[in-house]
Amino acid sequence: MIYQVRHITSYHYLEPVSMCHNLLHLRPRICRDQRCIQTRVQVEPMPRQVHEHQDYFGNPVSAFSIQNPHKVMTIVAEHLVERKQSEGQDVPDMPWEQAREILRSDKSPHNLEAYQFTFPSRYVPLGEELAQYACESFQPGRPMIQAALELNQRIFQEFKYDPQATTISTPIRDVLANRKGVCQDFAHLMIGCLRSVGLAARYVSGYLLTTPPPGKEKLVGADATHAWLSAYLPGHGWVDFDPTNNLVPSDKHITLAWGRDYDDISPIKGVILGGGSHSMKVEVTMTPSSLHSEETPSVS
Amino acid sequence: MGYGPLGHNHDEMLFADGQIRPHWRDFTHGLDELGPEEFQNRWMESRQIIRENGITYNVYGDPRGLDRPWQLDPIPFIISPEEYEYLGKGLTQRACLLEAILADIYGPQLLLKNGWLPPEIVFANPGFLRPCHGISLSGRRHLHLTAFDVGRGADGNLWILGDRTQAPSGAGYALENRIVLSRMLPELFRQCKVERLAMFFRNLRDTVRALAPNNRDNPRTVLLSPGPYNETYFEHAYLARYLGFTLAEGGDLTVRDQHLYLKLLDGLVPVDVVWRRLDDDFCDPLELRPDSFLGIPGLVQAVRAGNVVVANPLGSGWAESPALIPYLPGLCQHLLGEPLRIPSVASYWCGDAPSLQHVLAKFDTMVIKGAFPTMRLEPVFPARLSSVDRQKLMDRVMANPHRFVGQEILNLSTTPTMTEKGLEPRHVLCRMYLGAHGTSFEMMPGGLTRITPSPETMVVSLQSGGGSKDTWVLSKGPVNEFTMLKPNARAMELSRAGNDIPSRAADNLFWLGRYVERAEGMVRLLRGVLVRLTEKSGLADVPELPTLLRAITHLTQTFPGFLGEGSESRLINPTAELMELVFQPDYVNGFAFLIRSIQRTASSVRDRISMDMWRILSHLPPEKPANTKGRTSLSELLDMLNHRVITLAGFGGITMESMTRGHGWRFLDMGRKIEGAFHMVKLVKSTLAQSVAGEVPLLESLLEIADCSMTYRRRYLGGVQMAPVLDLLLVDENNPRSLGFQLLALHDAIKRLPVDPNASGRSPEHSLVLAMLAQVQLADVENLAYVDAGGQRPCLKEFLDQIEKDIPSLSEAISHHYLSHLQTSRQLAGVPGGTA
Repeated sequence: MIYQVRHITSYHYLEPVSMCHNLLHLRPRICRDQRCIQTRVQVEPMPRQVHEHQDYFGNPVSAFSIQNPHKVMTIVAEHLVERKQSEGQDVPDMPWEQAREILRSDKSPHNLEAYQFTFPSRYVPLGEELAQYACESFQPGRPMIQAALELNQRIFQEFKYDPQATTISTPIRDVLANRKGVCQDFAHLMIGCLRSVGLAARYVSGYLLTTPPPGKEKLVGADATHAWLSAYLPGHGWVDFDPTNNLVPSDKHITLAWGRDYDDISPIKGVILGGGSHSMKVEVTMTPSSLHSEETPSVS
Repeated sequence: MGYGPLGHNHDEMLFADGQIRPHWRDFTHGLDELGPEEFQNRWMESRQIIRENGITYNVYGDPRGLDRPWQLDPIPFIISPEEYEYLGKGLTQRACLLEAILADIYGPQLLLKNGWLPPEIVFANPGFLRPCHGISLSGRRHLHLTAFDVGRGADGNLWILGDRTQAPSGAGYALENRIVLSRMLPELFRQCKVERLAMFFRNLRDTVRALAPNNRDNPRTVLLSPGPYNETYFEHAYLARYLGFTLAEGGDLTVRDQHLYLKLLDGLVPVDVVWRRLDDDFCDPLELRPDSFLGIPGLVQAVRAGNVVVANPLGSGWAESPALIPYLPGLCQHLLGEPLRIPSVASYWCGDAPSLQHVLAKFDTMVIKGAFPTMRLEPVFPARLSSVDRQKLMDRVMANPHRFVGQEILNLSTTPTMTEKGLEPRHVLCRMYLGAHGTSFEMMPGGLTRITPSPETMVVSLQSGGGSKDTWVLSKGPVNEFTMLKPNARAMELSRAGNDIPSRAADNLFWLGRYVERAEGMVRLLRGVLVRLTEKSGLADVPELPTLLRAITHLTQTFPGFLGEGSESRLINPTAELMELVFQPDYVNGFAFLIRSIQRTASSVRDRISMDMWRILSHLPPEKPANTKGRTSLSELLDMLNHRVITLAGFGGITMESMTRGHGWRFLDMGRKIEGAFHMVKLVKSTLAQSVAGEVPLLESLLEIADCSMTYRRRYLGGVQMAPVLDLLLVDENNPRSLGFQLLALHDAIKRLPVDPNASGRSPEHSLVLAMLAQVQLADVENLAYVDAGGQRPCLKEFLDQIEKDIPSLSEAISHHYLSHLQTSRQLAGVPGGTA
C-alpha cells in the first residue's frame, strides 16, 4: 500500500522569538517493509539552510535554525511511503529467558546493536514495579513473543486512553499507578516492562492510518502521529507491538524513526530565545494513495 | 626538625629509619639555613598575597559561599628526576591508551565487537554521548589536556587513582601555587633546581590555538566556563588571562549557520577553538542535555560541520569511567602492544560476576564508586557505614551491579605539612597533567598536590577541607628559565585591540560601577551622620540629625529604619540600627550586603579587573574592631568608615588612571554616573523637599557629605544659602559630584557606544539623556528653592521626581540596547510522540 502523509506542526508565540535551533526526526527511515518514495520538509519562516544527517540509530535528522525574530513557525512534512504488509513469518517460540541469555552473551553485530536497548534511558527508568507488572506475563519458560503479546493486550485492556491524564514529562511509574495515558506512555511502559526482565525494546515513532466512524467522511488532519515499540527476538529480529491499539503493526503503521525512547527521536526538538508563552498545533492527514505500488516510479 | 611520620605508611621525605631521602636534602638544608623565624615571616607575607590576589576555591554549602581563600601549604611536594621520568613514560602511555580507546568507541567500536570491552561500559553509560559518535576530528587528537591522580602506597609503589579526560581542573592552581612559593622561597627554589612550568603552558597554548579549523594565523580561542558559581572559577579566569584566551560563558556564545560566534557589544565575532571547562553533557542543550542552562544550543552541529573545534572533544568524559579501569591492562597489550607501565589501584567492575563476588566478599576493605562518570556519585566507604546503610548499599550494588565499581583503599603515603603544631604528616595525592604534543604527550614538570586535612582520613578532597602544595620536580641538568610573564623576545605585531568585550562582561562591569558608587554614597552619608553623633553631645546640638538619619533610610531603601513605626526611639538612639546597617551581612541593602554584591559582581569579571583593582576590593568588607568589650564604639565605626571612603576613592582613581578607555571601562563608568546621579537626586529630595526650621546646619552637612564644602566656601564667602547650594549640587557641570556633571558624562559616554549603522535617528537612551540634561541645564535654582505656604518646595520636588523617574528608564534603555541578547534559552514544548 502507498500512503500520502501530510504532517503540519505550527507554533504560535506571544512574544517574538529572536532565535531558534531545531532538530527534526520527520523523514521516514528506510526499514524492512517500508520504502520512502518521496519526502519533503518545509519550514516557514524559511531557514537559510537545512542540514541533513543520520543519528546514531540511523534515523534521518534535519537540523536548522531561524535567526530572525518571528512569532509563528510552521513545519510541513509531506511523504509518499510504500508500506508492505509485514509477512506473517514463523516466529520462533524461543523462551524469553533464553532470549535474555543470548542478548547478554552473543556479540554478533545484530545482537550487540540490540543489546543497547536493554538499559534504562531518560524516559524509561527501570524499577521493581515495572518488573512486577511484566512478570505476570513473563512466566518461566514462556515463549517471548507469546508473553509480549499478552503484555500488549494487558496494557490495552487495563489502561485508559486519556490525553488529559499525562504530559510528555509524566514518569512511567505514575502512568503505571494511575492506569491512564496516551500512546507514548504505553510504549514507554511496555518498553520498561521488557527491559525490566532483561529484554531489548526500542521506541518507534510514526503515523497510524485511522478509519472514520461508519457513515462519516474522513476529516483532514484527523490522523495522528503515533508511537509504539519493537522488541528483539535473537535469531529472528525486531517485532513491533502497539499496546495502544492491541495490535501487531502491519500495513497501517508508517515508521519515522526509532531510538531508546522519545528523547532520542522526538519529531521536533528545539531551543528558543524569547517567545514568552507559546501554543502548538499538530495536524496529520494520511491517505492511501491511488497509485499502486507496481505503477510507482522507483525513486527512493 | 621535629617531624615524625606515622610509621606504618611510606613517608615522602624520610626513610623508615628517619634518614632524609636524597631528593629532599637540598630542600631541608636550605630550610635549616633560612631558620624557622624567617620562614614564618615569609609565610605570613605569602598568605597576605594569597588573600589579596583573591585566589579562591568555591566550596558548595560553605557559609562563606563563594571565594574561600585557597589553602596552600608552604612545604612543597618534591619529585626526584628519576621518578619524574618514570611517571612521564607511564602517564604518556596511559594518555595514548585512553586516546586510542576513545577513537574506537566514538568510531568503529571494534573493542565491543571483538569482546575486548563489555558493551555495558559503553551502552549503559550515560557518559557515552551518542550524538558525538562518528564526528570526524579531521586528524586531530582525542585528548589535548588530560590529568591523572597519582598516589603512593605503603609499599612505596606509585598507583593511579583517577583519570581526567574531559576538562581537567587544577593546572591553573598549580601555576598559582608556583608563583606564590617561588616568591616566598626564591633561594631554595634555585638551589633545588626546580623545573619551570612556563614552557608547558606555552606549548599547551600553542597546541590549543593550532586546533583552529579556520583563521589559522590568528584564531580566536575561548575558555568556556560554567561561570562564577563553579568551584574552580578563579582558575578559569586566571588561565584565560595567562594564556590569552577569551573567558566566556555559554550565554556569551551563539551558533549561527553552524558557526560559533562570541557576542560582543558591537556584534558577533567568529570563534575557532573552544577550550572547555564545562562537562560534556552540559555543552549543548539541544542535542546533549536539555536541562543545561550553561551550554550553547547548536554547538554539536557546529562541531559536526567542522567549523569549530572543542578541546577536549565532546564525549571524552566517557574515558573517566571507573568501570574501564580493570580492562586497561588487557587493552594496553591489545592496542599498544606493550604492558601497562603504571598500574591503577585495584578496581573491580561489579558488572562482571566474579568481580561482584569479590567486592561483596571484601566489602569493608573497599571504596564503592559509581561505574560511570555522569552518575556524579560520591565515593562511599562501606566500613564507615552503619550496618543498616551498609546493607542498603549492598542491595543497591546487587540490584544494578554494572553501575558500581569497588576499589581497594590505598594506604596513601604521607608528606610533611606545616600546621600550627609544626611539621606534621598528611596523606598526599598528586594530579599530573599531560598536554598533547606532536604525536605524543608532554607532561607538566609539576602538578597539583593535594593533602588530607588530617592524618586520620584518606579522602583527598578540596571540597572537604584539604589543602594543596606546590609540586617541585627536580632537574638533573640546568633549568630552562623561560617565562610567560615577561615579554616575548619575538617581535609582536602592534595592536590596540582588546576592546572586544562580551555583553555579559559589559553588563557586570556596569553593575560593578553602580554598586561601587552606591557604596561610596552610603559611606559618605553614614560618615556625615557619625561625625555628628560622636562629636556633639546630643540631639539638641544637632538639629539636622533626624533629617540625615531619615535620608539614610530613604537612600538605602531599608525600611522601616528611621521612618515609620518605632522610628521615634531609633532616632533618639540610632546606634543599634546603624551597626546593623553596616555590619549585618543579611541586612538587605546594608553596607556589608552591598560589599558582597560588589565582590560577587567583580568575581564574575575577574579576567577584566587588574590585580590592583582586586586588591583594593579585598579591603572593602567592614571589619569590626575587636576591642576589649567586644563591642564597637561609634568612634571606631567612624574610623572604619573613613578608611572605606579612602579605599573606594582608590578604586575610582585606579579605574580612571589605569583602565583602557574601551567599552568595558565605559560601561563601568556609566554605571557609576547613573548611580551618582541617582544618589544626588535622592539625597537632595529626602533632605530639602520639605523646608525645616534652621536649615543652615543641614545645608552645611549636605555640602560636607557631597564633598563640596571647600568649593562652596571658595565661591561664596558669605553664609550658606539654599539657592547656591542647589546650584552646586544639581546644576553646576564643573562640580564632579553634581547631578549635571553625571548627566553630561553619561551623554558623552552614550555617544561613544557602538551603534547599528542601519539605525536612523537617536537611540532611546541618547534621547533620554539629552532630555534630562536639558532639564537640568535649564533649571532655575531660585525657583527650585521657593517654599510654599505649607513649608514645601513644590518646584524642587517636581524637578527631582521627574529625574528620579527618568534615571531607571535610562538604565533600562542601555540594558535593552546593548545587553538584551543575554536572554536565556529554553526548550521548545515537546511535540507529543503521538496523539493517537
